[in-house]
Amino acid sequence: MSKWLANAIEQASSKQDWFQPLRAQAIQSLAEITWPTRKTEAWKYTSLRAVERFKQEAEIKKLRDSVTTIDEFDAIELVFENGHCQFQQIGDLPKGLTIVKLNEASSEMQSFALQKFSSVKPKRHLFGLINDALVPDLVYIKVADQAVIDKPIRITSLLSEQAQVHTRVFVELGQQAKACIVEHYKGELECLNTGFIEYSLANESCLEHYRFALQSGKAVSIGGSHFELAECADLNSTVVGFGSDLSRLDIDVIHSGERAFAKLNAFYLLDNKETFDLHTTIEHAVPNGTTEENVRIIAGDKAKAVFNGRIHIHRDAQKTLAELNNRNLLMSHDAEINTKPELEIYADDVRCAHGATVAEIDKKAMYYLQSRGVPKEQAQVMLNFGFINELIDEMPNQALAQWLRPQMKKRFAAMKVK
Amino acid sequence: MTEQIDKALEREYEAGFVSDVESETFEPGLNEDIIRRISTMKGEPEWMLEARLKAFNTWLEMEEPDWALVDYAKIDFQAISYYSAPKSMKDKPKSLDEVDPELLRTYEKLGIPLVEQQMLAGVAVDAVFDSVSVVTTFREKLEEAGVIFCPISEAVHAYPELVKQYLGSVVPTKDNYYAALNAAVFTDGSFVYIPKGTRCPMELSTYFRINEQNTGQFERTLIVADEGSYVSYLEGCTAPQRDENQLHAAVVELVALDDAEIKYSTVQNWYPGDENGKGGIYNFVTKRGICHTNAKISWTQVETGSAVTWKYPSCILKGDNSIGEFYSVALTRGAQQADTGTKMIHLGKNTRSTIISKGISAGRSNNSYRGLVRMNSCADGARNFTQCDSLLIGDQCGAHTFPYVESRNPSAIVEHEATTSKVSDEQMFLCQQRGLDPEKAVSMIVNGFCKEVFKELPMEFAVEAGKLLEISLEGSVG
Repeated sequence: MSKWLANAIEQASSKQDWFQPLRAQAIQSLAEITWPTRKTEAWKYTSLRAVERFKQEAEIKKLRDSVTTIDEFDAIELVFENGHCQFQQIGDLPKGLTIVKLNEASSEMQSFALQKFSSVKPKRHLFGLINDALVPDLVYIKVADQAVIDKPIRITSLLSEQAQVHTRVFVELGQQAKACIVEHYKGELECLNTGFIEYSLANESCLEHYRFALQSGKAVSIGGSHFELAECADLNSTVVGFGSDLSRLDIDVIHSGERAFAKLNAFYLLDNKETFDLHTTIEHAVPNGTTEENVRIIAGDKAKAVFNGRIHIHRDAQKTLAELNNRNLLMSHDAEINTKPELEIYADDVRCAHGATVAEIDKKAMYYLQSRGVPKEQAQVMLNFGFINELIDEMPNQALAQWLRPQMKKRFAAMKVK
Repeated sequence: MTEQIDKALEREYEAGFVSDVESETFEPGLNEDIIRRISTMKGEPEWMLEARLKAFNTWLEMEEPDWALVDYAKIDFQAISYYSAPKSMKDKPKSLDEVDPELLRTYEKLGIPLVEQQMLAGVAVDAVFDSVSVVTTFREKLEEAGVIFCPISEAVHAYPELVKQYLGSVVPTKDNYYAALNAAVFTDGSFVYIPKGTRCPMELSTYFRINEQNTGQFERTLIVADEGSYVSYLEGCTAPQRDENQLHAAVVELVALDDAEIKYSTVQNWYPGDENGKGGIYNFVTKRGICHTNAKISWTQVETGSAVTWKYPSCILKGDNSIGEFYSVALTRGAQQADTGTKMIHLGKNTRSTIISKGISAGRSNNSYRGLVRMNSCADGARNFTQCDSLLIGDQCGAHTFPYVESRNPSAIVEHEATTSKVSDEQMFLCQQRGLDPEKAVSMIVNGFCKEVFKELPMEFAVEAGKLLEISLEGSVG
């Protein structure tokens, strides 16, 4: 067993609080687990060496980062500082929205929450279990039936150097409820965080979701967003990622009610020696579900990109429509892209397709721009930007899109291209 | 509807008879002694025995792979007999007239022409019965052209230099669990050598038959196409209908030197087991070819048999401008499980590969495509196109796609697409409206679905494959 994991288990075993029952389960599973190697399918391309580097006894520096505002974006802010929730209720929350810090909640609320947590997140995620075992502060967000929350809710995680942090939120949308949630991870310090957010969408509810996995540099970020969709629920999710020493994200969408609709757009831009490993799993357990997934990756310099997109159609899930489109741009001779779109289908009356391409920027397009006087670097940024702009355009919240575009441009301009 | 399909799919396995041939069979079990005995039976030189023992020790240290999407009872390697040969083969027959008539009848029944005069012109056959090669036809005619086509057990004696040089050069012993097992216990198979600049005057073919009970078949095929040569090679297989599972773990190695071309076609029709999944062959095969500069290897396979298939014919595109192709139709029904696909490893500049895979699942079967396309950092300008289509017949089967794409070269282009669908009501309506009965209509639609692959097969095989598919699909529409 890895030393880091042994340490983590030891640390978790001493925790005594209301979350203990779930911790104990997780610890038991972790004790039986074999630490992933290259032969472990889920970690085939990504080494966990970066995790092993973290020492329990390391001195945690003071928090330097602060929450940056997103221009023209008025949100309800839920901030985790080194894993501790700093949510201060200023004024009234919109009608129908409840945010509960579970450590301070009543014991009824806590035992209710115990039923919820880990009900959506699949047990196979190693770091999900580690999160179960170690998470210090848990938050439960409920949007009441028929409530429409116009103001987005932003969950930000701030970390200081050498910190090892675990964050966890459960979001429940009532029937016909509507909400927008932004998960925001940033910073480039050497730190480790696991951030797992679970979403339960009741009948006809509607969720607009963003995960900005923008940690870079020496950060190690491993996390997941897990969704369960009831009948006619509607999910529109956008994932934006930069790479870091080790970035891993697991997204699960479980169609457990009929006629649910899931749209998942993801794009990530990698530079330097960064790694980003995205695993998405779409489970169609019932008939008449629809999934549209679009994943685009740009890898430059010595970066390594991994994508595993699994669509699983269960025996009864007739009339399912599921499509996955994965396009990748490889920008340098030292970069690499590993992609595996998977289909596992047990029902016959379905329409499923996936496609994947890996190539460099179209030489003809480059020639066209250069022959019209656009310098090479600029042409490259233009074409790269065009590659992902399509997905930015599809973001329902234009204020966020406006904020994101310059960030992307900045990233492109800094990318080393050979 | 499903019930009707299942019922209709209970067709007879036509090659399921047992030949009454007196055999000499080793008692079940696997140890160094058995390997020594196999080697002695074959009268092999010392270096061959050493290689076998080394492979056996490697195998002992390896673990059985479990990553494929197939589910079967663990194999007891000590319960298998590793050598079985018809007694009449002891004094090797020198010509066809000396071959046991019962053996000839077996092949006649299977429709494999061993009597040269009656053959369709232009196919030379090496017939492998359990552990030994029974007869190889047209050898003289091939020798005139300088082509070597003989059982590998003979090649070990007659052409030791060629065998030493190439055997295990493409599929090393350590490659995988079954390759290591094969290297230790392989009994026979075909050896082909095409000299420089020669176009092989006829199609070469090997026909594999497992007859004896509780035996495994471990054949080894090695094809070397020297510079600028061309050969087309066909492979067919059947086995009797039995309640026990039998293991077939073969290794096929292809070497295409500069400017050479090898076309390798397989029609695999091992006994698939009954409708409940009882009995049938476990087909765990390693097939790989290496392409040198400007060479081309093309794999075409039609897979309709076996209880469990685990097979990935692959190409290593080592030389610049080399080409790899993989065309596959895999049909599963009853309780069959197939996990098949290919690997294309691009090393050379401007290498190209095409993968067309058609999977058809019926009954309660599971059919997976598993493939790997790797563009190494030196594969400038390499190109791959992959298309995987799955067709589902009935709501109890499964169709799966697991393509791995790994690219380390920006100038390489990889394209992969996969679709899954069923025989649509519209297609059925259109055909039936024009007077075709439902069965014919399905057969026609499926044939159309597989057309791209069938057109790659040599003519006689294409006809056989089409027929095989038709029989397999018989009554698949309720």
